[in-house]
Parts: sequence; structure tokens; C-alpha cells
Amino acid sequence: MMNATPVLKIDNLRKQFGSRVIIDDISMNVVPGEIVCLVGPSGTGKSTLLRCVNGLESIQGGQILFEDKPVRAHAKDIIGVRKRIGMIFQQFNLYPHLTARQNVMLAQVVVHGVDRKTAAERADHLLARVRLSHRADAYPARLSGGEQQRVAIARALATNPHMLMFDEPTSALDPETVGEVLAVMREIAQEGRTMLVVTHEMRFAADVGTRMVFMDAGKIVEEGPPRELLAHPKTERAQRFLQTIHH
Amino acid sequence: MHNAYSLLEYMPAVFRALGLTIWLSWLALILGAVGGLLLALMRTSNFRVLRLMALLYVELFRSIPILIILFFFFYGAPLILGWNLTAFAAATAALSAHASALMSEVIRAGIESVGRGQWEAAQSNGMTYTQAMRHVIGPQAMQVILPPSVNIYIMVLKESSIASIIGYVELTATGLVIREAHGGGFAILAIVALLYFIVCYAISLAGGVLERRMKVAGSGLQMDEL
Repeated sequence: MMNATPVLKIDNLRKQFGSRVIIDDISMNVVPGEIVCLVGPSGTGKSTLLRCVNGLESIQGGQILFEDKPVRAHAKDIIGVRKRIGMIFQQFNLYPHLTARQNVMLAQVVVHGVDRKTAAERADHLLARVRLSHRADAYPARLSGGEQQRVAIARALATNPHMLMFDEPTSALDPETVGEVLAVMREIAQEGRTMLVVTHEMRFAADVGTRMVFMDAGKIVEEGPPRELLAHPKTERAQRFLQTIHH
Repeated sequence: MHNAYSLLEYMPAVFRALGLTIWLSWLALILGAVGGLLLALMRTSNFRVLRLMALLYVELFRSIPILIILFFFFYGAPLILGWNLTAFAAATAALSAHASALMSEVIRAGIESVGRGQWEAAQSNGMTYTQAMRHVIGPQAMQVILPPSVNIYIMVLKESSIASIIGYVELTATGLVIREAHGGGFAILAIVALLYFIVCYAISLAGGVLERRMKVAGSGLQMDEL
């Protein structure tokens, strides 16, 4: 698998806000079918990394290639990249003026030109998969956090993206709804989808992840198979971080 | 002397004039909304020149009395720009220019009330600026834009009475003409005032109904196309 052509290639990426360096010379590849879990302390640039890949942030150095096309935040062709990546946000960011079904339909209809009937059928199919068929006509304000995040996952899957990115998908959830979102994510992972996940859920990362990348202060400190990295971190920084996580 | 009863014969003319007032103010509101939308998009754009141009326009037309704006279009435009505008055209232009400055601020506030997360969700979904505006940002901004827009319309409708000064015979001018013909008095002006009140109050009520209907569906506007 590691010999396959990468779907995502990041070379010497540097991201700054003013003079503050957020991402400091990061290089990594993601090949199809990989589930890469980005872990590390808060404020180390993990979320920013995802946002750069989606062109939501401009970059100050290096380059990002998604399916061999450069990702440039303000270029016209960024639309083409975003169409092929599904993004799930910490704060869900569902469209509050649309029902769950309409949330899953919108990009299909508006961006991909799918006719309404087909889009509605696909929306219903995906809502069933995230076990929310009974909530299809509910507006986001009427849904719990876990339900909203599952709708957001269905929305991201609706346009059949080549890679899914999760930005701390369970961090804004009540503890009792974290499990339902992780369960859905496990199912999606088993379909062989390519996923890039920023998370603090070490159990999930160990069970589902094919690779774990530990980041600190804008750099990749250590990476490897999740169970191995969790059990035997090589660097002192990863050891310290994992101790605080495990208590 | 005529008695108050004889005012009745003028009523068809008064209602025709009311129609003209509504037409003039409606036209000004539509043009003002279109202009206001353009200005608001300029004000929220990434291009500094566009932002500055819109800002200049808004500050200018907010700060000049509507009467002076009207005189500019009616007396100034022929001299400076070579435009010979009819009284109706000059009044429409002046009211629209003023309304667009006010509408742009309301629309801008509406657009800015929608959180950054919505833009990012729409962008991540692969939407262009126009698609995001139309399907995600616009419908949410509408809830913020509508209530003050109703007030702006009411204001424009009342402001349209200044068209009487340059000889456009709308409701106020008609009232003044009838008053002359009728030998003075205040009765006809009271009727004119009452008509303004009834129309404005009806608009205000209709705006309230619209606003409530938008809030009914849990969290927002229904999108009929989906």
C-alpha cells in the first residue's frame, strides 16, 4: 500500500500568520485507503494543516499537491480540489436554514449538477447510513450535537469525495454523543476511504488509523503505526504528551 | 366657500396620486435594493478599491439631505452631466440613491451576521462565491436584512413627498393643489396624511407577518427550490 501513488503530497509546507509560524516545514504523503490520524497538543497546527489542504488558508512556503494538482487558496482551480475532498468541522457548520436532507442535497445539486430527485435519494440513503432517517426533515437547531455531526458526515460523503478530512470531529460534542459519531466514522473507515483525521480520540486512532502522525509546535515529531506509537513513543515530547492523555 | 362634503369629488384624483406615490417609492426601493446589494458586496469584498468606492458612496448619500440630492438630479444633472431628467426620473434617481446607501448598510450587516463557518462549509462543499452567497449566506442574511428593510421602504415612501417640490404631482402635491382649489383649509391635507399612515402601517404589518413566517420553520427560511 505504501508504494501506491499518493493522493495527497505535502512538501516542505510552511504556514505563517504574520510573523507567527504555525506550520514549520512539514512534508507528508497520504496514499489511497490510508487513514492518517494527526495527534498532538492543541495549537500545534493540526487543524491549520487540514485547512491548508482545503485551500481555506493560504500557504507561505512549500507546496501541497492533491491528486497531482497544486492546492492554491485563492486560485480558481481550488474549487476542483474542494469538490474532491469532504470536510467535517469541529463545529459541524451545518446550514441552519436547511433541513438535514437539504443539507446533504445542496452541494450535489448546486455544485455537481445532480438532479433534485437523485440528490434526495442519495441524501436519504446517506442519512440512513448515519442512522438519521427519522431526522431527515429536522432543521439543525432541532438536532443534538452528535446528530448534527452525523448529518455533516453525510453531507461530506454526498459528493463522493476522494478523501475525507475530519477536524476534531468529536471535540465539541457532549460525552454521550461522541460514541455515535465515532461509530459512524469507523464504518466509513472500513469502506477503504482515504481519511485525514485530527483527533484526540486515541482509542479510535489505535483501532482505525493506519498511521499516526504526532505533531508539536508546527512540526511532525514522530509518526508510525498507531498502536506502536501509542505503546512505545520514541521521542520525549510524544512520551510526555501521551502520558497526559492516558492520565 | 365649499363645504367638506365637496372634497369627495376630488377623491378619484387623490387615489390616483396615491398610486403614483406607491409606484415611485416602490421603484426607488427596488432600485435601491439592487444598488444596495452591489454596494454591500463591494463593501465586503477583498478588493480595497471596491471597498473604498462603496464606502465613499454610502457616506456621501447618507450625509446629504434628500432635498439636495433631488435638486442635484433635477437642476444640477442637466448642467453638469447633460442629463435632462423629468421630475419623475429625477425623483426616482434621488430616492434610489438615498435608499441604496441605507440598504447597503443593512445588507452588509446581514452578510456579516453569518458566521465564518458557513462560508467555510460552503467553500469546502466546492461552492463558488456566487453559489455560496445565493444558497448559504444570502438566505441566512435575509432574516437580518428584512426587518430594517421594511423601515427603509416606509421612509422612502414618506420621502417621496419631496417630489412635489419639483412639480411631480404625487400624493402630497395633489393634496396641495386641491387645497388651493378648495380655498385653503386643512381637511384635504388630513386626508392625505391619513392615506400615508394607512399605507405605511399596512406595510409595517405585512413586514411583521413575513418576519414571523421566516422564523416559524425552526431556524430559518424555507428554500422552495430544494
